[in-house]
Amino acid sequence: MQDLRVYEALSKFDMPETERRWVNARADMLIESFAALDGIDASGAEPLVTVLDIQNVLREDEVVRVVTREELLEAAPEQYDGYFQVPWTLE
Amino acid sequence: MDYYITDYKASGPGAVALESGIMRKNRPAAAGSGILANFAAPFDAAVVTRLLENGVEIAGSTRMSEFGVCIAPDEPVPASGAVRAVADGAAAAALCNDVFGLNRRQAAENGVCYIHPTYGTVSRFGLIPLACSMDQIGAVCRDLADGFRLLSLIAGNDPNDGAMFPEKKYEYKRLDKKIRVGLPAGVVAMADGASRESLRDFAAKFAAADAELPYFGAHRQVMTILACAEISGNLSRYDGVKFGYRSPEYGSLNELYLKSRTEGFGAETKLAVIMGVMTLSREEYVRRYDKAMRIRRLIRDSLRFGEYDVIALPAAIGGSRYDNLALYSLAPLAGLPSVSFPYGGSGIQLVADVKNESALLTAWEVSRT
Repeated sequence: MQDLRVYEALSKFDMPETERRWVNARADMLIESFAALDGIDASGAEPLVTVLDIQNVLREDEVVRVVTREELLEAAPEQYDGYFQVPWTLE
Repeated sequence: MDYYITDYKASGPGAVALESGIMRKNRPAAAGSGILANFAAPFDAAVVTRLLENGVEIAGSTRMSEFGVCIAPDEPVPASGAVRAVADGAAAAALCNDVFGLNRRQAAENGVCYIHPTYGTVSRFGLIPLACSMDQIGAVCRDLADGFRLLSLIAGNDPNDGAMFPEKKYEYKRLDKKIRVGLPAGVVAMADGASRESLRDFAAKFAAADAELPYFGAHRQVMTILACAEISGNLSRYDGVKFGYRSPEYGSLNELYLKSRTEGFGAETKLAVIMGVMTLSREEYVRRYDKAMRIRRLIRDSLRFGEYDVIALPAAIGGSRYDNLALYSLAPLAGLPSVSFPYGGSGIQLVADVKNESALLTAWEVSRT
């Protein structure tokens, strides 16, 4: 079984052991299935990043307002004095 | 089990339901996730605005798997609230984002239809994102004529979605030409006997052509690698700070992130994120992610829409959700429109070329005569 702890940590998860075993077992199944790609020579193909065959077109900047600062802050779990509130980050 | 939420006012017979990842202002929009518990949408999704502008009533919100994630290969398929709402008559149609094919398959199995429009024709502004290069709002509908009428109301360029075709409106209509149906023999052979028979019966009503899908054996793997990579990026925004769930107990900022995300996400979503972070890592990027993007191009370039108008596929090739993912990867990987509907056996899925939804509508209408 793969040790995925480094990726778990990078994902900002700290899973209970039972959940970690469940996730690792399914990750193993998926990784094993990826072997089907080994026999395909795709080196001559350019990576397909987007399926849209359109080019970016820039327009003039326009000021629009979809939501206000207050509306966005309302969705925050904690806020203080018009800002998102987080624990102390400096000693 | 309650598959649809009826917290909105009682709705009429023509009302359209929204999967809970599509935002309606001041309504809950949890996208099936604990990380968005108690989150109320700050604005209407573009599709909601267009429905309301056209006098369409909103029926309510339907349950969904967490963000629509469905990648654990051996788990049972979660029931689609959107499909149930339409099949039960609680809504005339339901809008959803069906990246992994859950709604497309279940629609065909439950006597209703699904339209997955061409990527870039329906605005995703206000859709809670999952995998941006594949996200596309589609519709569960009672029949495809109804569904395309609904789609014509919501499709068209929106400046708030940066990945769209420029057309302001789309017209979906029956084409005055003979439709050529491509049947990929190797895929058809994987379906059960009743589904194979149904596909042959369906194809017999059209000019049939061979349609090879030379990379079919790689569809689900490419889909999984690319979708997980995009999911890991999209779900990084859930940090317990700006919106959504925050763990009640934490010390440092890092602990706030860890506990909020660990408690807020379900196991399958964590699997998708971890797989995505892995495939994007320095050690795996070239071998997994970069190669999957290259095979994605091979998949798209291998299609021959000059030789056929639509590709016909079974709606299922076995019980495993991972097996069936191969069937439902083609449309999102190549940005193509598709429909699924009941037709004997497990039902049928049709896939057409970019912006050729009218060929899908025509094929469905011809098949009913």
